[in-house]
Amino acid sequence: MTSPQRPGTGTRTRPRPPSRTRSTVWLVVSAAIVLFAIWQVDARWERFGNIVTEAPRFIALMGQGVIENPFTMPWSEYWSKSLALMIESLQMAWIGTLIGAVLSFPVSFLAASNTAPRVVVIVTRQVLNIIRAVPEIVLALVFMIPVFGLGPLAGAMALGVGSVGTLGKLSSEAIEGIDRGPLEALDAAGASRLQQLRWAVVPQVLPEIVAFWLYRFEINIRAGAILGIVGAGGIGSILDQLFSGREWGRIGITLVVIIVVTVIVDQISARVRQRIIAGPGAPKAARMVREQVAV
Amino acid sequence: MSSPAAAPPTRPQADRPSKPPPPIGVLVAIVVFAGITVYSAVGIEFTLRPLWEDVNRGREIVARYFDPNWAILTRPAVREGFLETLYIAIIATLVGCILALACAMLASKVSAPNTAVYRFVKLALSVLRSLPDLAWGLLFVAFVVDGPLAGVLALIMFNIGIVAKLTSESIDAVDRGPIEAVEAAGASRFQRGRFAVLPQVAPNYLSYCFYVFEINIRASAVLGIVGAGGLGVVINILVSRLQHEDLAAVVYALVIVVFILDQASRAVRRRLT
Repeated sequence: MTSPQRPGTGTRTRPRPPSRTRSTVWLVVSAAIVLFAIWQVDARWERFGNIVTEAPRFIALMGQGVIENPFTMPWSEYWSKSLALMIESLQMAWIGTLIGAVLSFPVSFLAASNTAPRVVVIVTRQVLNIIRAVPEIVLALVFMIPVFGLGPLAGAMALGVGSVGTLGKLSSEAIEGIDRGPLEALDAAGASRLQQLRWAVVPQVLPEIVAFWLYRFEINIRAGAILGIVGAGGIGSILDQLFSGREWGRIGITLVVIIVVTVIVDQISARVRQRIIAGPGAPKAARMVREQVAV
Repeated sequence: MSSPAAAPPTRPQADRPSKPPPPIGVLVAIVVFAGITVYSAVGIEFTLRPLWEDVNRGREIVARYFDPNWAILTRPAVREGFLETLYIAIIATLVGCILALACAMLASKVSAPNTAVYRFVKLALSVLRSLPDLAWGLLFVAFVVDGPLAGVLALIMFNIGIVAKLTSESIDAVDRGPIEAVEAAGASRFQRGRFAVLPQVAPNYLSYCFYVFEINIRASAVLGIVGAGGLGVVINILVSRLQHEDLAAVVYALVIVVFILDQASRAVRRRLT
């Protein structure tokens, strides 16, 4: 690292700064890629000005909708309808997460290198990677709606299958990180393979895996809030209409409902997650719960 | 830590100490869990019946997915859809990550100028995060008219929310030593961030940037469903025309592209941290 200028007494004796060629090359290459993308994409950048001219007006209209008396007739209905649909999104997220948990739990043992043979691990991992590559909304649009019809059921199934990718991966990594001691102890006591999993592996990884489920639930809330755009239930199903009808007042209400409910449920879930990982005694101590896999 | 769910097998051994009853917290948790599950299942009318009752309808459509029409990938509109998705993701990642770094500096107690700023930025970030990417897409399509620009802007907002949150948490955990050293040497606020905080979080920050790039590819592929440019526009058209064979080819190609970019980004991230 370079240091800021200082009165140079011993400049000669200072070590030379490390070479910057590598980072410079990376910087130039990435800048070139981005410039190429900006040049290639037909984005009509001049429209960017609309943000300054148009958006404030729309935001003001949204704000008006939000502060309109929520107990008088059309407005009270908007609020209660948005809230009811948001609850449907939450229900989809919950059931979806549950499906994902049930499906991914056995799979994660097949994807962990210390509980399954190498070939199985490789195959399972790739399947999980493939699932992770498909956005939930495509899953809903392409598979679930044709099979389950329009509605929240299709949404829940899409969230469930979509969750298997991340949950399986994270859980299998947790399984790989276990302490081998209990396994050996059980092995020595003559436990079968299944008994070893049940009594040595599951107790060790369960808290962490449950934390992953909750974490995935938080992600699924966001996904569940938009699946309705393609007809898969939840609050997204009115968003699309509202935007095409430019009903800014109602859009404002709907967005506020999404934001407030998501933030509240996130907070609760994060608390529970922390408590599961850290135990009742240490509320703040273990804040290093693997947040970094978020979203 | 509360005990794992199931009880040990009941072996009739009198000399063993009796198992302690499950703590009340666990019981409450199980009841709450079951309650929410039943409530949700009823709410969305959960049933697996379509899986076997409408199996023919399902099977017919699924069968069409095994017969993808690869020819569609050579169409210029599809090719451009893929490229546009990629461009949107690249631009949004760069701009979003740069803005996110500034926000992250303001959202950590370590580097924020004062508590008010820190609290406000944290709150703003959680609001940014709570709106899903497609909701941002809808908003920006309304603000700047549909097209890739709306997609780029939507992803930028979304990225700031994620990267700034993760980075600010890394900043919270930096070693205070260098900060004190730089302060003792009389550094300004900016110099403090630049020379004491940034070098410590740089690897994590870059890794988050690559991580969000992975997310962006997936997200920009679907943003077109609300008119924000990219492959989603193509997907939307194919869905509405029920061209499942064509759709199958597009989805498979998307999976392959995302898969390759994921692996590349993963490899880079592994080297970074």
